Amino acid sequence: MVRRLSSLLTFVVVSVVVLVLAVLLSFAAGIRASLKSSGHPENILVLKSGATAESTSILSPDEVNRMVQTPGVANSTTGELLISPELCVQTSIPRQGSGAMANVAIRGVEPMAFEVHPEVRIVAGRCFEPGVLEAVVGKAASERFSGLQVGSLVQLGRLNNQVFEVVGIFEAGGNAFESEIWTARTTLASSYDRRYISSVAMRIESPAAVPTSLDYINGPAVRLQAKTELNYYEELSSKTREIVLLSSVLIFIMGIGAVFAVANTMHAAVDSRRREIAMLRTLGFSRRSIGLAFWFESLIICLLACGCGLAGSMAFSGTKQDFLSDATWTVLAYQLQVTPDIALTAIILAVTVGTLGAVLPAWRASRVPILEALRKA
Amino acid sequence: MRLKLLYLLRNLLRNPRRSLLTCAAVGLPVMIYVLSMSVVDGVERFLDNSMTQLRLAVTQKTSIINPLPAGYRKKIAALDPSSQRIIAVCGMSWIGGRIEGDPRPLSTLAVDRDAFISAFPEFQLSEDEQAAWMRDRRAIILGRSTARQFGWQVGDRITLIPSLPPYSPMEFHVISTAEKATDPSTNWCHHAYWDEIKKQSGYPAEIVGFLFIKCATRQDMDYYRVAIDDFFANYSDATKTQDEKAFMNEFITQQFNLPRNLSILSAVTVFVAIMAAGNTMSMNFRDRFSELATMKALGFGRWTLFSQVQGESLLLCLLGGAVGAFVPYWAFNYSPLRNFTVPLIQQLEVTMVVCLQALLISAGVGVIAAAWPAIQAWRLSVVTALRNQE
Repeated sequence: MVRRLSSLLTFVVVSVVVLVLAVLLSFAAGIRASLKSSGHPENILVLKSGATAESTSILSPDEVNRMVQTPGVANSTTGELLISPELCVQTSIPRQGSGAMANVAIRGVEPMAFEVHPEVRIVAGRCFEPGVLEAVVGKAASERFSGLQVGSLVQLGRLNNQVFEVVGIFEAGGNAFESEIWTARTTLASSYDRRYISSVAMRIESPAAVPTSLDYINGPAVRLQAKTELNYYEELSSKTREIVLLSSVLIFIMGIGAVFAVANTMHAAVDSRRREIAMLRTLGFSRRSIGLAFWFESLIICLLACGCGLAGSMAFSGTKQDFLSDATWTVLAYQLQVTPDIALTAIILAVTVGTLGAVLPAWRASRVPILEALRKA
Repeated sequence: MRLKLLYLLRNLLRNPRRSLLTCAAVGLPVMIYVLSMSVVDGVERFLDNSMTQLRLAVTQKTSIINPLPAGYRKKIAALDPSSQRIIAVCGMSWIGGRIEGDPRPLSTLAVDRDAFISAFPEFQLSEDEQAAWMRDRRAIILGRSTARQFGWQVGDRITLIPSLPPYSPMEFHVISTAEKATDPSTNWCHHAYWDEIKKQSGYPAEIVGFLFIKCATRQDMDYYRVAIDDFFANYSDATKTQDEKAFMNEFITQQFNLPRNLSILSAVTVFVAIMAAGNTMSMNFRDRFSELATMKALGFGRWTLFSQVQGESLLLCLLGGAVGAFVPYWAFNYSPLRNFTVPLIQQLEVTMVVCLQALLISAGVGVIAAAWPAIQAWRLSVVTALRNQE
């Protein structure tokens, strides 16, 4: 009876630690998944030298023209170069539910953008028409922020006095674009009174040609900053490293606490079964098998607890969150994700805790003096 | 009383291994509690300071990303011709910054030289520092944790690359490391110097990111919060005015909502501590079942037994809690850890208040963990308890 309660309490401790581990890491995994899928290996992104994000980059039309000569740029089916100049601005839109304002990115694009970013697909309504105050909204943005459904009107523009109609919703494979609003570049440029553009995305023919193209743009001919989209989004996700680091420290401390809780329970288990152990030894069970039995007992508790904790964390998985990137100053919507990697980490943690907690008790169990233990009973 | 305490201690020492393990299993979650609450506390102290400073933040109505004309400064100041109600109007721009070849981002604000000292009195700059700030166009006041992190001292010359166009390097002279500032990481430099850098590359310079208004009283603050927006309502750039706390809170809640998430984490760790301590107490109770019954048979009252079980748990958890609370306190205030240049460590301030809170919570953990065994001890029926013994 006492051992049932004690095992149960230890079980709860370990499952809570696993739960915390999985939830903390799922934040980082969600953000990374959203950013990682944003980059295409054959796409390169050009920013002003020194800029760290599209939102702080300013390119003049002249600089864009210099890029047309870039070697290796792919052609569209109609023979046009797959170069997409894009303008990034932002607006404040209230979140659904809390109503707190969020900085949402608006991207002004030309029709070419849909070929350079083929993952962007309109899933409801239709695409915007250039020259008309119309916009399409990413799926994540339309779910997270209020008033962004097909047919709703949204006030944009530098003075917030231009009423755009949302005419469609797009998906982009769960990537960062889905947190944005897209409209025609010229329309956006006039609404926001911008003569410049922010960035240029281009599709290169093959991954092998990418380094040559990067060198060309970074070199004296263009003198701008080019990186692969993968690199750009990788850098944006550097924030997640901090979360992982912080989580690791917290989990490490909690893990040690769990080891002590397990050790406590296992010591008690050994104490209360000295007679039983002595009996088993008399019957011929080896020291090793006695020790192993206690180790397995601890592992079983911890692994069951791990399963329970992971199951609990699945309840959080898929929760929609968003965060303000400190590089772009726009919010990025993401979903908490309990990935196989996280599950594996959790299992490793549980096995480690179970093993470390059981080492001393199991050793003690294997050393129980037979005669004394039998006599005392 | 002394005798009783001695008895409790003796009881704990009867199974030193178990007591030690429990101490650790309680102490470590308490440590996490202390660390996470220190972060939350830091944010709250920061916000509370924002409130007491009676400052308003004026941003462009549509988005903070849109700048305001620098001329708004004079127009706002003119709303109070007597200068009795508006003490200072300080234009500010975020320029971020980093140093060559180092990916670590900095947070730097360019501010109006003449308004800064009166708008931010909590910096408590010395007269020498004030003089240096007014005299030197390239003066920079570093956040103290930033200064420690990069090993910069007063008198150093440093070169930062701003995070905004034209990204031209800016040389600064460190004149202070702002020991009294509430925000330990932000750096402050002259807006005029930033304007100059922008003008050199042909970027528009007559703009500011936002304006901070230092008011004389709470009433003035409430008045101008509305009055400023009304005044600019028909300008091409309408404004949004809010108090500093609300302004700052927008950033904090958008970035992971750290205070809320860490509070949840703290609650979880306290729960873990209760489970761990409860485990030990139930084991102790079980071991001493017959002993307690014997004591009762000898005439010790229910209260004595109840308080004995409770007292033991309380003592154990307080011991664990004390270790868990004061190790980080020591580590973050007196140990060599202070010299590590990791921003997380540098920015964290573990205060006595949080440690005492943690101790109080440990006591609570002790009481809750022993609740069930203590009630059982209270209800203990001597006859059944003794009969069950073999």
